[in-house]
Amino acid sequence: MNPEDTATDPEAALTAEDLIEEVSIDGMCGVY
Amino acid sequence: MDLLAQPWSLSPSVALRPEPFGALAYHFGNRRLTFLKRPELVAVVRALGEHPTVASALVACHIPAAQHAAYAEALTGLARTDMIRPRSQGAAA
Repeated sequence: MNPEDTATDPEAALTAEDLIEEVSIDGMCGVY
Repeated sequence: MDLLAQPWSLSPSVALRPEPFGALAYHFGNRRLTFLKRPELVAVVRALGEHPTVASALVACHIPAAQHAAYAEALTGLARTDMIRPRSQGAAA
């Protein structure tokens, strides 16, 4: 098997979900 | 709207709290909370106001071109909740 045939760059497959996450402030009570 | 070609900056109503994963962004006006899950994104958000376009901020922060679309989408999400704001051309830093 040629590694070049299967190699993928995980950084190139980055999505917005990997970068940000909106959270409910109600769910943060007692944490912050 | 091509966000990458426009000048944006961090909203003055937002505080960034450094975290091991990146940062926590809190908007004092709308009380929204967003995790910035990569230190590189935190660097980009902080740098936005110092660059003429979002794209130039990404380049300055050494974000690979292959990731610019994902960053643009994430920044669009931040814009939706007023974490970042469009900057008028005359108000460049």
